[in-house]
Amino acid sequence: MSDLNDNFSSVSRKQVTELYLKVIRLIDERVAPYLGKATTRALVQGAARRVTNKYPFLSCLMKQPYTDLEPSIIQEQLSGVTPAELTAGLDALLDECFAGLRELTGDLIVPPLHREVTDQLRQLQ
Amino acid sequence: MESSVQSESQIRDGTHGSPRVYSGDHLPAIRRELEYINRIGKRFVAAIDRFQVHRALLAALQELYSFSACCILLKSDPYDLFIIPCYPLDAAFLESMILRIASAASVIDFPDINVSHLARTAYFDAPDELAQTRTPGSSSSTQIGACLNIPLTVENRIIGMLSLFDEKPGTFDAELLQTMIADYAAVALENVRLREREIALWRDAELERQRLELIIRSMAEGLLITDARGAIKSLNSSAQQLLAQVQIDFTLDIPLRQLAETSNVPWLPRLTEIIDMALRGKTVTNQELVAGLNHDAGEAVALTLSISAAPLHDASGTSRPIGVVAVLNDVTSNKQVERMKDEFVSVVSHELRTPLTAIKGYTQHLVRRIERRIRKLHVTQTRPASTSELPESYDLRSLNIVQSQTEHLERLVNDLLDLSQVQWGQLKLNYTTFYLADVLAEHVRSAQASAEQHRIRLDIQVASSKVTADSVRIGQVIGNILDNAVRSSYA
Repeated sequence: MSDLNDNFSSVSRKQVTELYLKVIRLIDERVAPYLGKATTRALVQGAARRVTNKYPFLSCLMKQPYTDLEPSIIQEQLSGVTPAELTAGLDALLDECFAGLRELTGDLIVPPLHREVTDQLRQLQ
Repeated sequence: MESSVQSESQIRDGTHGSPRVYSGDHLPAIRRELEYINRIGKRFVAAIDRFQVHRALLAALQELYSFSACCILLKSDPYDLFIIPCYPLDAAFLESMILRIASAASVIDFPDINVSHLARTAYFDAPDELAQTRTPGSSSSTQIGACLNIPLTVENRIIGMLSLFDEKPGTFDAELLQTMIADYAAVALENVRLREREIALWRDAELERQRLELIIRSMAEGLLITDARGAIKSLNSSAQQLLAQVQIDFTLDIPLRQLAETSNVPWLPRLTEIIDMALRGKTVTNQELVAGLNHDAGEAVALTLSISAAPLHDASGTSRPIGVVAVLNDVTSNKQVERMKDEFVSVVSHELRTPLTAIKGYTQHLVRRIERRIRKLHVTQTRPASTSELPESYDLRSLNIVQSQTEHLERLVNDLLDLSQVQWGQLKLNYTTFYLADVLAEHVRSAQASAEQHRIRLDIQVASSKVTADSVRIGQVIGNILDNAVRSSYA
């Protein structure tokens, strides 16, 4: 996902957050039929736990499922974080999600889903 | 079988929820699918323990895949790992499996998972009837060829993880990857867990019930338990023995009030009253009840029970009691001992009073004679000597001491009698109006006479203190205080 970072320089934190939440919801939609509805939430929480050392502002994703998060509430916790930092953090989160998904299913669903997510990010930026 | 998997195209199309028209070609496929779902569903529903769930799972999975082992990791305290191999596996392969399971679990909410702990505590369950044979000529592999991990979820909560392993690569594909079997297994395992928990709780409750029953049965005190209507629901063996002494057999489940109305047992209304008080939420303690005569000892003795009753409230904390627990103590022997003691005190007191009366009377007589003689000596002597030098004066002082000690002894004897009356609630007070200073002065004079070595000075602050009381009892109180003061004071 890292090749996308530069393209987010002109957007706000809120737009970045909404964009990534949309992408995570897409992953959830694709993963749920195979691994159940709770899996993506657990994957995102696990991924947040692993990246929170480098990106402490993502700790809110560690404490509660991403589905319970309101973008407006996240904005309060992200004060002082630049859109570029936020993009880098959420990118790292997505990478960890895919790494976790790969741990579970190998390459059964990750490659096509990764392509789809990359395409979506490109279209939405 | 593929149609049980929601394909990506189906999700994108959003065809779920809208009525579909199936062609004649689809119907047999749907029927086959329903039969399949029904068949494996029945296996899981019928499973009553986790090993039966393992068999159902293995049988269902073996219809779809050919694989080497199936593993179930469950969240418990901390984690339980069940390894179900399809055929004997190499130790290195098993180790790799556990490593992969721990690695996959760590990404989906299995915090602090520990490989060595899993390896130490893993259970092996290999159902013989489902065991497969290796392909002839193939040897056991040490490396994992293919692996698939599916979270086990119940109501959107991850309770465990199902892992499939094969020695050959590429065994599992996305087309066959599905959560349906995992969902069945998860629900069945959760049901087993809940059933095990229920059995454990039931066993604990039963053990606790047996323990309580043993305690109640072993109690020396009688225990009577009623329901909210006041009907006796339970009597322990001590209570049954106590009540058998008075030839009464309580009919269980009939309110005591109803029994009391129809029975001619004279003490039953009193027992009903005690129970009713507790049913109104009041704790009643040590209420004595004379429950008829006990003929066991050869002689008829009134069976006396001390009853304490308390309301029973349920765990919800509602104000209305759900019953009463009453403790019955047989205090007959205590009462007999008390009565014998009182009789003894009464007899001893009366026996002591007789000689005391004589001593007191003769002492008074002697005092008056000596006082008369001293007065006569004063009149007849030409050169009057000091009164204190006369030998009669020494005699008078000695007699005064004898007299005050006699009065003291009389008071003690009266106190013994009073104590007995107080214990039986028979003490009667005689109220009169009198000056407290007079009673005080009288007792100080008496105390002074019996304690020559002390100089007692009475300092009355309120001379006209008129009170209404029993002057004899007030006098007893003052006398006791003065006696104690004299006894505890230096000369």
